[in-house]
Amino acid sequence: MSAEYDIHVQEVLKQVPDADPDKIVDAFIRYEKDFLIPPADAIRAVLRRFQGESAPSSTSSTGQSSSSSQRQSLPVKKVERFSELAADDKNVEIEVEIITHNARTTMVRGEEKTVPYGLLEDMPWEEGGESTRWQFKDWGNSPNLHPGAIVRLEGVSVNEYQGQMSLNINQSSGVIILREGTRTVSKPGEPVDIGTIKNEGTITIVGRLLASRQDKIHRKDGTGSIDVVRGRLADDTGAIGFLSWEPFEHEIGSLLKIENSQVRCFRDTPELNFGSGTKIEIFHDSNFASTDDLAATSICKIEDLRDGASDIDIIIEFQKMVKRSFTGKDGEEKSVWSGDVADPTGRCRSSIWSEPPFDINALPITVRVRGARVRAWQGVPDITIDDASQIEVMAATPWGDDIDLANNLVEVDLSDLVSGPSRVGIKTIGTVVSVREDSGIIKRCPECRRVLRDGSCFNHGEQDGNPDVRIRFVLDDGRSTLSLFVNKESTVQLLSMTEQQIVTAIEKDGQVEFVQMIRENFLGRNISASGRSIVDDNGAMLLADDVSIIESDSALAATELRAKWGVV
Amino acid sequence: MNAEPRARRQPAWHMLASEFGDSSLSEQGSGEFDPLFVITKLGAKVNRLVVSGLIERLEARETTNGATLWQGQLRDPSGLHYFSVGDYASETMRELVVKWARKVEEGETLMLIMVAKARFFQTEEGAIYTSLRPEEAAEIGPSVYREWLVAAADGLLNRIDFQQKSTSLDKTPEALREGGIPEHLIQGLLLANTHYGEIDLEIFRLNIMQVLDIAEGRTPSAKTPSKSGQQVSIISDEVSSTDEVDLKEVLLGLIDRLDQGEGVDFDALLSNAAARGHDRGVSEAALDELSEQGAVHEPRFGWFKRTT
Repeated sequence: MSAEYDIHVQEVLKQVPDADPDKIVDAFIRYEKDFLIPPADAIRAVLRRFQGESAPSSTSSTGQSSSSSQRQSLPVKKVERFSELAADDKNVEIEVEIITHNARTTMVRGEEKTVPYGLLEDMPWEEGGESTRWQFKDWGNSPNLHPGAIVRLEGVSVNEYQGQMSLNINQSSGVIILREGTRTVSKPGEPVDIGTIKNEGTITIVGRLLASRQDKIHRKDGTGSIDVVRGRLADDTGAIGFLSWEPFEHEIGSLLKIENSQVRCFRDTPELNFGSGTKIEIFHDSNFASTDDLAATSICKIEDLRDGASDIDIIIEFQKMVKRSFTGKDGEEKSVWSGDVADPTGRCRSSIWSEPPFDINALPITVRVRGARVRAWQGVPDITIDDASQIEVMAATPWGDDIDLANNLVEVDLSDLVSGPSRVGIKTIGTVVSVREDSGIIKRCPECRRVLRDGSCFNHGEQDGNPDVRIRFVLDDGRSTLSLFVNKESTVQLLSMTEQQIVTAIEKDGQVEFVQMIRENFLGRNISASGRSIVDDNGAMLLADDVSIIESDSALAATELRAKWGVV
Repeated sequence: MNAEPRARRQPAWHMLASEFGDSSLSEQGSGEFDPLFVITKLGAKVNRLVVSGLIERLEARETTNGATLWQGQLRDPSGLHYFSVGDYASETMRELVVKWARKVEEGETLMLIMVAKARFFQTEEGAIYTSLRPEEAAEIGPSVYREWLVAAADGLLNRIDFQQKSTSLDKTPEALREGGIPEHLIQGLLLANTHYGEIDLEIFRLNIMQVLDIAEGRTPSAKTPSKSGQQVSIISDEVSSTDEVDLKEVLLGLIDRLDQGEGVDFDALLSNAAARGHDRGVSEAALDELSEQGAVHEPRFGWFKRTT
């Protein structure tokens, strides 16, 4: 035995008495030589390895004193309930039922490894008793873990991450089957309404299948692709997209009960994920809304579109369209038709990746689109249509001819605008509560149009900059606020000053005086602004191309208030 | 993904001086940048206000550390807002205050609109002061002032309405929500209810009458404030300076306006006269005289009608 490892070998032997001391030394030497890890740092890894080697004997003979009691110097903490466990408990013994079990392959230190995860429930023998569920990760990929099985776990440890407790089943842990996993899970979660799904988690739903198609997900590292199924399910509260990692062959229109589906959020849109732990079965309910009804109610409106939504059905009017051609990565000539679209709730953009089934020079035209995706650029939704077969040209607009969508501005309450998604073609009203000091002439980066700060662009460094005109207001409705950016044309119109007059005024009186002049005209005034909104974590912005003061007759407004409230 | 976004700008409340000045409750979180709120009797949780009125006083004061603190008063029909502008204020704000102080000294009438942060201060003896720290302000004319008056009255009427609705509801967020109280008032109403208990709405109702009258251009507005600079004295000044014939005219005018066919009840008549600055006792005497003269009659007890 090499002396320099002696102290560390003793340490390992203390924990794993029946390990071979020579093998322990070999392990330390290997770590130090091959991986350049000194024994003090390697001891955990070595310990784990020898504990793991001695584990099988313990799983087969737990009742006996031999290995499990000697294996670890840590006392065994035997509990019945998860609630008895603390965040730093190790060497825990508990009997649980496996609720879900999902095999997942991850890269661990450059090595592909299967680390299943899922849910466990304590008090497995109590029918209708109060059980608690915890997540687990099985680092040993034990063959004994199956959904529905009741097992005794030995030598597992508690993990706490962001306040969430879970169990780690280690490579050295014992998993003893107490009852085979044949029984279906007795207490699946109650089905939830599709319209209420917002947050990530595991849920059960009942929904009708509206759409389903085969798809492939290409691995980023180019090691091939995974076959998946994408589609859409609905109940009378809403519709949601899904992604199945397992074969999924139900017919459109089937009513399905789906247990233990994972909700994942892609961009701003929740989506159901079906994996090996998900149970899907045909559900019978003659009162459930029919496919036609659901298809009709699940037609989206532009105001509802969220970045990342998929398989949406929508009726839109194409107003303007251009064809762009470019050469793809593989040298192939490709075309995309993109343009402005509208419905009575707003406007946005749309791109079609194949020849549209209508004449792009004879717009506007109303179409019904099926199974489209939504991507957003600067907050503006883009309805992406991959194939012309998804488009059905409609003979008439469902909203009648009296709505002129070309100039249609949808009036949105300021608070709704601030709490909603980014939108185009909207108009809102609020009180000016601030005129920002940087209103007037600004310099923009010639590369990216970003406003220069002290002659320097955030991305492109020092620049000469192109002059531009704008006003920055804060609008307020008493409940919410938004930043209002007034563009050049609208500023010139609002101030009744030409760009040159603005430049001259600032040169003559100074920036401070110029901004104060704007305040004297606008502070506290109600204004109406239209344009497009961008809503993100930093709040709401309205990029306006038309802004005007709302002139009101105060005497009349006061009299109206009297009448409304009965003030005499 | 559901993380609360960065601290958002607090919205501004259009608010009369009486509602803000009557507040004695504040709330501030423990964090360094947590906003301060003043909670009014009507449950408005105010961090920022839009106020307007006449500058009545604007004076510089040397503070103990040698800095200059400008203190001023802004009068609206309901009372006074106190504001201060110190070295912490923006350059623009400080320059404006100097300019305005000069104008005030020269006796010029200055009407302002102000967006300001609420301040709350309690002395060791327990006296409470609410005041404003202006962020941005501008000189305005009467038409913008009227617009502001209407907005302030609208806000006040809404809050009175919701405050009254809330009195019959259980004092829990859920009950208020179900009872139709808007989200932005729920917390404030609960806090106000605990702190203020039952409140007297009469003063706010009078304020509304005054404000709407001015917005409608019926009475001379607060443009001619009393020299003493105190709200109470405005009323008494007017009473003493108003000769009795005018008061009778006011009463007859009120009856014309308010009479829906059955006459006008005594209390409504005197309240409205009070809203115009006429003492109830004096009004009552004038009403008696009108009855004796035969200009009005009482078709039933306590209800007055114009004699045709």
